[in-house]
This record gives sequence, structure tokens and C-alpha cells, in this order.
Amino acid sequence: MQFSNFQEFIEMGGYAFNVWSVYGMFLIFLTVNLYGPLRKNRQIIRNLKRRYALNAQIPSRSASADTQRPTGSETTEEESA
Amino acid sequence: MSAVRSTLVGAVLATLRRDLLIAYRRKNDLLNPFMFFVLVATLFPIGVSPEPEMLGEISAGVLWISALLASLLAMDNLFRADFEDGSLELLMLSRHPLYFLVLAKNVAHWLVSGLPIVLVSPLIAYMLNFPEGAYSTLVLTLLLGTPVLSLLGSIGVALTVGLGSRGLILAVITLPMSVPVLIAGTLTVSQTLEGASLSGYLAIMGAMLVASFTLAPLASAAALRVSVN
Amino acid sequence: MDWTWFHKWGSPKWFYELSGKWLPWLVGAMFTFLLIGVTWALLFVPEDYQQGLTNRIFYVHVPVASISLAFFPLMAMSGTVFLVWRMKLADVVVKVAAPLGAWFTALALASGSIWGVDTWGTWWVWDGRLTSLLLQFFLLLGVVSLRTALEDSEGAARACALLSIVGCINVVVIKYSVDWWNTLHQTSSNFTLAADQANGPEIWLPLIFMIVAVYLFFAISLILSTRNEILQREKRAQWVMDLVAKS
Repeated sequence: MQFSNFQEFIEMGGYAFNVWSVYGMFLIFLTVNLYGPLRKNRQIIRNLKRRYALNAQIPSRSASADTQRPTGSETTEEESA
Repeated sequence: MSAVRSTLVGAVLATLRRDLLIAYRRKNDLLNPFMFFVLVATLFPIGVSPEPEMLGEISAGVLWISALLASLLAMDNLFRADFEDGSLELLMLSRHPLYFLVLAKNVAHWLVSGLPIVLVSPLIAYMLNFPEGAYSTLVLTLLLGTPVLSLLGSIGVALTVGLGSRGLILAVITLPMSVPVLIAGTLTVSQTLEGASLSGYLAIMGAMLVASFTLAPLASAAALRVSVN
Repeated sequence: MDWTWFHKWGSPKWFYELSGKWLPWLVGAMFTFLLIGVTWALLFVPEDYQQGLTNRIFYVHVPVASISLAFFPLMAMSGTVFLVWRMKLADVVVKVAAPLGAWFTALALASGSIWGVDTWGTWWVWDGRLTSLLLQFFLLLGVVSLRTALEDSEGAARACALLSIVGCINVVVIKYSVDWWNTLHQTSSNFTLAADQANGPEIWLPLIFMIVAVYLFFAISLILSTRNEILQREKRAQWVMDLVAKS
């Protein structure tokens, strides 16, 4: 153990700001890139569920119109949702 | 006549001639990169400092960065007009390899946008109090380096040719790629001033030119196939 | 030679199901390595005789920076696979790797510059490594913005694959030219790794734990984003409908 008490650990030998800001950024980085995709996954599934339900209600739409629509506009639509 | 054009050399020469002719008829486009180069170089003494010593020190960098920006500005005309009027598609339908046709377009483009910059650079260099004894090196590095800038830029232009507004994307793609040329050019000049032997530096610039001459049209041709269809 | 293992990668469904099985193990392993690594690095690593306790920054900086160098090769390889075999999964990797790479590069730059504050006395020095990382960051942003600008999915996929290959070659050229530029300008760069200076296992063992943890994190993050992208692209496939119905 490099430190004798908690106070010393926080002070980091005078480099508290440097060390803790780097570890703080690392933590934010990990959370954003793990939690972000996980949350997006739930969101996508929720959107798809709503969409399939809607398609089931209007049979003609799911049969013809949906397959003909261009993919590009749909992805943007979902990202904004 | 048609027999001549059906050979590869004939097709390349025809493309070259056509592009040069179009550039000659549109004299405004011809003048744009050149004027831009002079204008950007003029801003540095005003923005940084008019003191001769200071200017002399930064002049090589100023000239190179101005040339870089001017070539970026000029890149826009490389495929755009041809894309808009459909002649680019005709070029791609030709039975000759697109590689050589793109190369011909690049050469024509450099002749009208890069070469004037190289030719006027000694004059601007003099106005920026460029150190004596390195003028020939400066012109030589620009002569070797500006074609590389055009060739690299054409990849970016080919990738974005179908886009409506692409100003910043083109810069973000092209400028980082141009950094090695910028480094080689300015270092060669500064090493000449320190009395170092030039051959090694010029060899590196020559290698860059040869590599981009052989590889960049390959990437540009592939990029055109992606973005035009 | 049996190529079925290769063709399996062409099936998004197969990848989605397999990665779903792997993920819990990967996440578990990552948190184990991360906890051990961080605790060890922060609490037990001895003070560096030159840098004092700032050597703790290395245990974040080195793994992150080493991975950020792997992004362009990864994207170029996936791009080649996509262009040659038209494998959709490879394009998904090119797509999700670009923003992730920008994140990694940004963190490597930030941690490198915070580490440098103490050594160089300023936040930013035009050091060779930092400069080439910065240029790589711009190139990655270029790939991301090209993808956003070209909305058409097939064209954008091929354009980005091509740009990744060109960019990969270019990153190597940039690296060498920046190093060359840096040595000739002779900036005072003392950017040697802590591990170079003291070679005891108490220094490099925690570093290895952190490197493994960050590599695992990289894999997990890439897989998670890939799965999301697959769901969106395959939303008309029956297996996605079944999957959504079950959840």
C-alpha cells in the first residue's frame, strides 16, 4: 500500500487534479460507451415493437407500402425518435 | 480520327485536351485558385506581423499552407461540372481503364490550378522576405508537392462528388492526408537554409509523388465507381 | 479447406445470437480485470522517482492510446472484407468502429495532455505522438461525417470502406512523417513510458491488467453497437420480429 490514510490517497502527492481528472474521464468514457449502446438497444426494441404492432393493425400497409419505402429515411426517423 | 481515339493513349490525350480546353474557355475558374493563393499569403503579414525577420522565418510555411488551401479550393472543379452534365458517367462507361482517365484529369487539373501557383510562388516569397538561397528549393518542392496534393485531394472529391454541400467534409478528409507533404516541403526548405544536403529530402518528396501518382488514381477511380452509380 | 466458419460471419442472425451468449462472460471478465487493475494502479504502484504519483495516469493512457492505434487497421480490414466479399457484418463494423475510435483517440489525447501538464509545463505540446494522434482523430471524424452525409446505405458503405483503406495507409505515412518532423524540430519531449524507466513487475503487471480490461471493453463496446446496428438493418427479417416479440 502506497498510502497511509485516505486523505493522502485523495491528494495523490499533489497531483490530485491530474490523476483524478484522467480517471474521471475514463469512468465517463466507460459509462457512456457501455450504457449508451445498452440503452439504445432497449430503445430500438421498443420502437420495433410499436412498429410491428402498427403494421399488424393495418395489414395492407405491412404487405406492400412498408417494403417499398427507402431505407434511408426510416433510419433517420428512428434515430430522432 | 476515331481509330486514334480508340487506343488508350488516344483516350488519355483526348481527356487531357478536353479538360484543358474547358479550363481555357472558363478563364474565371482558371484564375480562382491562383488568386486565392495570393490572397491567403497576403493575410499572413497583416495578421501575424509585417516585420521582415519574422516574415522570413515563417514564409516557407505560409507559402505551403496557402498552396495547400488553394489546392483544396480548386479541387471542387475536378469532377463536379462533369458530374453535373453527365460526362463523368460517359467517361466511366468508356472501355478504357478509368485509372488512366482519372490520371489524365488530374494532370490537366494540376496544369491549370497547381502550376500557376508554383510559378508565382517566387514573387510572393520575395514579398514575404523569403531567405535568399532557397528560392530554387522552394520552387522545386512546390513542383514536386502540389501534384501530390491534387492527387490526394481527388480521392476526397471522388468520394463526395454526389453530395450537395460537402465543403467541410472535403477539408476533414483531405487536409490530414496532406500533412506528410506539408512536412516534407517545409522541412526541405528549412534544411536547405541550414546547409544540409538536399538529395535525401528531394528523394522523399519524389517518392511521395511516385507513390501518389500510382496509387491515388486507383483509389479515386474506385471512389468514383462508388459515388456516381 | 472448410470455409463454413467464414461464411457464418456473413449471417447477422448467427452473430447476434453468438454475441449474446458471449457478452455476459466478456463483461464479467472485463470488470474483474478492471477492478484489479484500477485498485492496483491507484493504491499499490510505487511512486515514480521522476514523475511522482502522476505515473498513475499511464495505467489509463497507455491501454487507451494503444487501442486507438488499432482502429484504422481494423476498419481497413473490415472494409476490405466488405468490398471483396460484400459481407454486411463487415460494413457494420466499419460503421460503428469510426465513432468509437474517435472516442478512444479523444481520451488518449486528453489523458496524454493531462499527463504532460506536469512534465512539459503546458497543456499542449506539438509532440510527435500527440500530433499524429490528433491527425488520426480528424481522419476518423472524416469517416464519420462521410457516413452521415451519404445517407444511401450501400453507397455510403462502399465509400467508407474505401476511405478506411486509404486512411489506414495514410495514418502510417502521417506517423512516420510526423516523427521525422518532430526529431528535426527537436522539441523537448520526455514522453517515455513509465514502463521503460522501471522494469519491475510491480510496475508492468497492473499495466497488463489494465490493457486486458480496456481491450475487453473495446470488444464489448464494438459488439454492443454492432448488435444495435444489426437490429436496425434487419428489422424486416423474421428472426428480429421473433426476438422483439419475445422480449
